[in-house]
Amino acid sequence: MAADLADPAWQSRLEPLLAGGTAAGANLVEVFVERTDHLGALAEQDTITSVTPGFGVGAGIRVFLDGRDGFVSTNDLSAAGLQLALDQALGMLGLRRGDYDTPQFQGLPALRDFAVAKADWLSRCPELAEVANRLLEGTDRLQRHGQHLQARRANYARDWQDVLVAASDGTFARDLRLHQSLGMSVLAADGQHRASLGRRYGTSARPDDLREWDAEASAQDITSSCATMLYADYVEAGQYPVVLANRFGGVIFHEACGHLLETTQVERGTTPFADSLGEPIAHAAVTAIDEGLSDGAFGSLSMDDEGMEPQRTVLIENGVLRRFLSDRAGELRTGHPRTGSGRRQSHAFAAASRMRNTFIAAGPHRPEHLIASVDTGLYCKSMGGGSVGPTGQFNFAVEEGFMIENGQLGRPVKGATLIGEAREVMPRISMCANDLELAAGFCGSVSGSIYVTVGQPHIKVDSITVGGR
Amino acid sequence: MASSASPALDPASLRERLDHLARHAGLHQWDLGAGCSTDTSVQVDRGEAKQMKGAQRSSITVRVWNGAGLVGITSTSDLSDAGLERALAGAHAASAFGNADDTPAFSSLATAPLQPLDQPLHPPQHILDLLGTLKEAERDLLSRHAAIGTVPYNGLAQRSSERIYLNSEGACRHQQLTTASLYLYARAEETGRKPRSGGAVRLAYGVDALDIAGCIDEAANRTIAHLDYAPITTGRYTCVFTPEAFLDLIGAFSGMFNARAVLDGVSLSSRESLGESLAVPFLSIHDNGLHPANIGASSFDGEGTPTQRLTLLEGGVLRHFLHSEATARRFGVDPTGHAGLGAKVAVGPHWFEIGPPPGGASGASGLDHRTGVGGGTDGAQGLVVIDSLSALHAGVKSSQGSFSLPFDGWWIRGGERRSIEAATVAGDIRDVLRSLIGFEGEAKVTPDGLCPLVWVDGLSITGEA
Repeated sequence: MAADLADPAWQSRLEPLLAGGTAAGANLVEVFVERTDHLGALAEQDTITSVTPGFGVGAGIRVFLDGRDGFVSTNDLSAAGLQLALDQALGMLGLRRGDYDTPQFQGLPALRDFAVAKADWLSRCPELAEVANRLLEGTDRLQRHGQHLQARRANYARDWQDVLVAASDGTFARDLRLHQSLGMSVLAADGQHRASLGRRYGTSARPDDLREWDAEASAQDITSSCATMLYADYVEAGQYPVVLANRFGGVIFHEACGHLLETTQVERGTTPFADSLGEPIAHAAVTAIDEGLSDGAFGSLSMDDEGMEPQRTVLIENGVLRRFLSDRAGELRTGHPRTGSGRRQSHAFAAASRMRNTFIAAGPHRPEHLIASVDTGLYCKSMGGGSVGPTGQFNFAVEEGFMIENGQLGRPVKGATLIGEAREVMPRISMCANDLELAAGFCGSVSGSIYVTVGQPHIKVDSITVGGR
Repeated sequence: MASSASPALDPASLRERLDHLARHAGLHQWDLGAGCSTDTSVQVDRGEAKQMKGAQRSSITVRVWNGAGLVGITSTSDLSDAGLERALAGAHAASAFGNADDTPAFSSLATAPLQPLDQPLHPPQHILDLLGTLKEAERDLLSRHAAIGTVPYNGLAQRSSERIYLNSEGACRHQQLTTASLYLYARAEETGRKPRSGGAVRLAYGVDALDIAGCIDEAANRTIAHLDYAPITTGRYTCVFTPEAFLDLIGAFSGMFNARAVLDGVSLSSRESLGESLAVPFLSIHDNGLHPANIGASSFDGEGTPTQRLTLLEGGVLRHFLHSEATARRFGVDPTGHAGLGAKVAVGPHWFEIGPPPGGASGASGLDHRTGVGGGTDGAQGLVVIDSLSALHAGVKSSQGSFSLPFDGWWIRGGERRSIEAATVAGDIRDVLRSLIGFEGEAKVTPDGLCPLVWVDGLSITGEA
């Protein structure tokens, strides 16, 4: 079988699988095929220390029957390999090819090819030598601007994915995806003082992204923050009003609320908002959106991993819950309509409802007004990662924080962790500024690690638990 | 899904194909790591199948040395001849960017004898049998308490797998393995109260060997024990880490034992740290991937070096680092069997054994967390039992030593135990290691290692009270 998923022969390879699966009694059969090409590179100090190319092929076959599903993935794209995977998926649901012989499947329609204008993306990406030069430029700029630096790193990852989705409901679509990300980090040490800090940048669908990267600005940003945090004291634990900066500050909404608006959580019974459609779940200042459309954003898609075009989904409007993020299984099991949010890391995962570009919309205030409104509190300039547990309790680390004293930014503090529960915190987001910005990130959940964007303007949370010392 | 036989990797065939392709490409030195597996798993939701999954996976990582002695690698899941040829070409191209200052070589121990492991191969069960077993386990767990409404995170899985390491000098390592796992994570909620959760995990060489009843009991007991919760006052407390929690904490800071991290300048340790006292004199830590309780142990690492028991801390003193071939060469020692496979080889631990040194001091005696007695704790303030830590990926600064982590646990005062509503524990791992009070009870086997309850003095707890 030709490896190129644009080859029309794939249609005749996939149709018998869909026909065989439905004839065996399945309500729906879906096949996801992918080819991938990866390049990773790492610069440490002034040397390229690791180059990690990789490529792969694989398919995932999912069979639905009466709300249940069976899913099998394989690296074997031969006809026999795919047939074996289908038989195994059918067997999970007690079905077997040949038990019934009623044709249910009428054939695939013409391919919806979202890849047409993207064929040259991979070849337009920088070659390894150019990647190496840019990374070394980054670590060199870090050295120029930084003080007490013990380690300097810059890493790059380019992931290209050729995807074909076919399903017995007539879905037949192909796309090419390109994601590039670049991270820089430093570790500074001066006696007993240590600080480590990093930034990550990422885009989709932009072959020239690395060429356009401003290494100088990135290095200045990182080293400036590191110098500030090197001598910072640990934050004193307690309950504080908190102002979260824009861009990656949006991780609070992603973790605290976004995951709870995925139908996978509704299915599990792990979201407190399952029965709250049309009801206020947040402060009236909050409007939140998830979409897959922003040009070049890390979480943007031409189609999701179930072949559906993404939408702009208003999740919360002026505090009122409007919509859940739903995939095929979510629609089947919860009734919430699909939103083009069926996503997976690779063929080895069944798609699940996942976020794309998720952000709190801009509000009317200027950022300094939020800070001025706080007597004693915490300003979170940059955030680390976070997570949400099965009871809706979230946490995330503050990478760079400052105390707010009498409405002004004060001394830098480190070691802060914000913890809380979505139901309690969402009504406390009382002010949103007018400086919405997005930031690239990775999200790990039931269908693997995927590219997402988080974002928000500066926001104020009236009170939140800050873990510290 | 029909039960599948163990997947097949043929080392002789792989060697022959690689030899041929490498010669054709003018490459004389290469090695590879390959793996394949067949997995089946099920999840359930209130008596119904939620998801059933199967997977056949194969992967290979090829590493080549070019004419200048520099190394490049490429990984692929395409094990066809065309795939292997492309992987070799990719590795060759990448070798032009190999690091001349830190070039890996073949491990001197890649042909050394391996210690045999007692790892019985279990035949896989039919996936519908797995489903029946998990449904029964869920039903049992749901029946344990009226407040347990769902088991939102659950799974029963089995795997048959093979690993191979080959190199152009004749090394050939091959391991077959079957494993099974069960996890049950229950959610309970009482009227007017916040939802609470608790869970348990079990590993074995086959589904028929899993301690399913024990997993249900532990998940039920943990969940029920957290129903009666209250906030805790922010302050400094004597803390008792469960074995699972302490192993998680040590694992998150294992960079202090990692020679790669030392050489990269991102470890809390330095070359000069060997022989230094890092902890109380009654703490020893070994890495022992060969421990019989380490389900799924590997007999060799990514470079073919045999796995071994290695002393990291002995009586509080740092004795050895974890090594790959390249780091060992830089330190002038033998590789220790903790390497991955790469152009820059990652190093990591396998399975920790934590406790007092044999025959040595063990810290304060008579510790009993159930009564809160021991270690000079203040009866009025009580002590905190840290049952499980969360969000280690976000709350640990491994190169700084600091951590601030949410946890599930209990506040014990006057012999009474209350689950803690929501809290974080914060500190510095270097202070933790020097602030151990002692150990309580026998060491417990967990998926990550062997460890008793560990008492630590004076950690910062942030609560919502």
